[in-house]
Amino acid sequence: MIDLLIVGAGPAGLRAAIAAAENGLHVSIIDEFVKPGGRLLGQLHEEPDGSWVNGVEEAERMYHRAIQLGVEISTGVSVYDLAETPAGWSIYTTDGVRESRCLLLATGASETPIPIPGWTLPGVMSIGAAQVMGNVHRVKPGHKGVVIGVNVLSVAIAREMQLCGVTVDRIVLPAHNLISADASNPEKMMESLLRLSHLAPSSLMKIGGKFVSPKLAARFYPRNGFKIWGIPIQLRKTALEIIGEEQVRGVRIAAISATGSVIPGTEEIVDADFVCIAGGLTPMAELAAVAGCRFHYVPQLGGHVPLHNERMQTTLKGLYVAGNITGVESAKVAGAQGRVAGLSIADELGVLSAAGKEKIKEAVDQTVHTRKHALIQFNQGIEEARHALYTEFQQLTDKKISV
Amino acid sequence: MTNKETVICRCEDITMREIQETVERFQCSSREVKLRTRAGMGSCGGRTCRGMVDKLVEQLGGPPISNEIALSYRPPVRPVSFGVLGGEEK
Repeated sequence: MIDLLIVGAGPAGLRAAIAAAENGLHVSIIDEFVKPGGRLLGQLHEEPDGSWVNGVEEAERMYHRAIQLGVEISTGVSVYDLAETPAGWSIYTTDGVRESRCLLLATGASETPIPIPGWTLPGVMSIGAAQVMGNVHRVKPGHKGVVIGVNVLSVAIAREMQLCGVTVDRIVLPAHNLISADASNPEKMMESLLRLSHLAPSSLMKIGGKFVSPKLAARFYPRNGFKIWGIPIQLRKTALEIIGEEQVRGVRIAAISATGSVIPGTEEIVDADFVCIAGGLTPMAELAAVAGCRFHYVPQLGGHVPLHNERMQTTLKGLYVAGNITGVESAKVAGAQGRVAGLSIADELGVLSAAGKEKIKEAVDQTVHTRKHALIQFNQGIEEARHALYTEFQQLTDKKISV
Repeated sequence: MTNKETVICRCEDITMREIQETVERFQCSSREVKLRTRAGMGSCGGRTCRGMVDKLVEQLGGPPISNEIALSYRPPVRPVSFGVLGGEEK
């Protein structure tokens, strides 16, 4: 029996392990990927001050610190089931059953697909898969690709692919259907793109982003798009179909109005040997569901999230969550939440001193601060949504106590 | 190829049209769509299409997505061999 088992060796899991092990807990981490680091492994971007963030190096630093503190890390191992026991939790993995007093689920998020005709052809992948191929495995996903879906992730990863020497021909919107919904609407996508304007290399867009109305911007958006790092972002073009017999050969695109209707006679075929679909992210909460956690559906956080409080406790004893499983946000927020979870668990297991308890408060404040100053806001209304979630948790636990 | 022939559940080969027809005919929830079409019951356990099925049903006028997870998760949540399930050591 160990003190804490963590599922997920990303920024949340690693920071939690470090915080818990620094307080003397016996900690193990399991991750199904072959390397620790989670989504940090894909990250490579330039900060506004011109410095580069290299996720691989950051992951290595945390990994070494954790190992130094005696944390055991198993990679290439999946968890397929779990169960509450009188002493804690049993965790069923592809490498045997583990027993732990507390359990932290830091499983991150998964990508959501946008199904358009031809999306099941070989050569079509999620944008995150292309990122892993390039940045982690050092394999080019193809020679020339089209990215379908305009969002924070797609623009950032298109840039990374370009740094890998891959041609990203253009970024377009997905065909309109019942699932793509807003993602196929130029006005709606303009709103989210304007929230990224502070990252734009052109100062014109940076200034523009603060004042422009999304409606006007979508209407006057040039048909061939603006280029960011030389990649045309075509908000007024839609991918109607991915074509090819045995594999991707190209994408049939057309021009669209500001509200998303296809303009007749504008169809053309763009050659490509791979296509990336960027549909966004959703918390990966399957283990929390199997455990029996209560859930809340919070679109601002990316979907269904296990109900939890600021200290990262769920409605089940000894079960904690941290990182993107609690809502889609940046790696920095995930790391800050991880630290909170590690300290809260140390507190539950009675190893925190009075000074240590003060640290939980500081770590919670740090999470709020990190969220406020995040470079990229994945969705709007995150703070309000989280506040509502914590209030709900509080009411629920108050009810339990009064019964 | 049209939008309606687009595959939603890749494991069981269920198209958008089949799901749409099911919702329209039976006015049903995503769980009922799953039971009637087998969407989400393939080898991946619905990891790829669960969200799409929920969204389709909601968009087609079925029950809105709520706090309850309509398409429940059941172990094993990852593919495992019988050996692993039976406690075989690596």
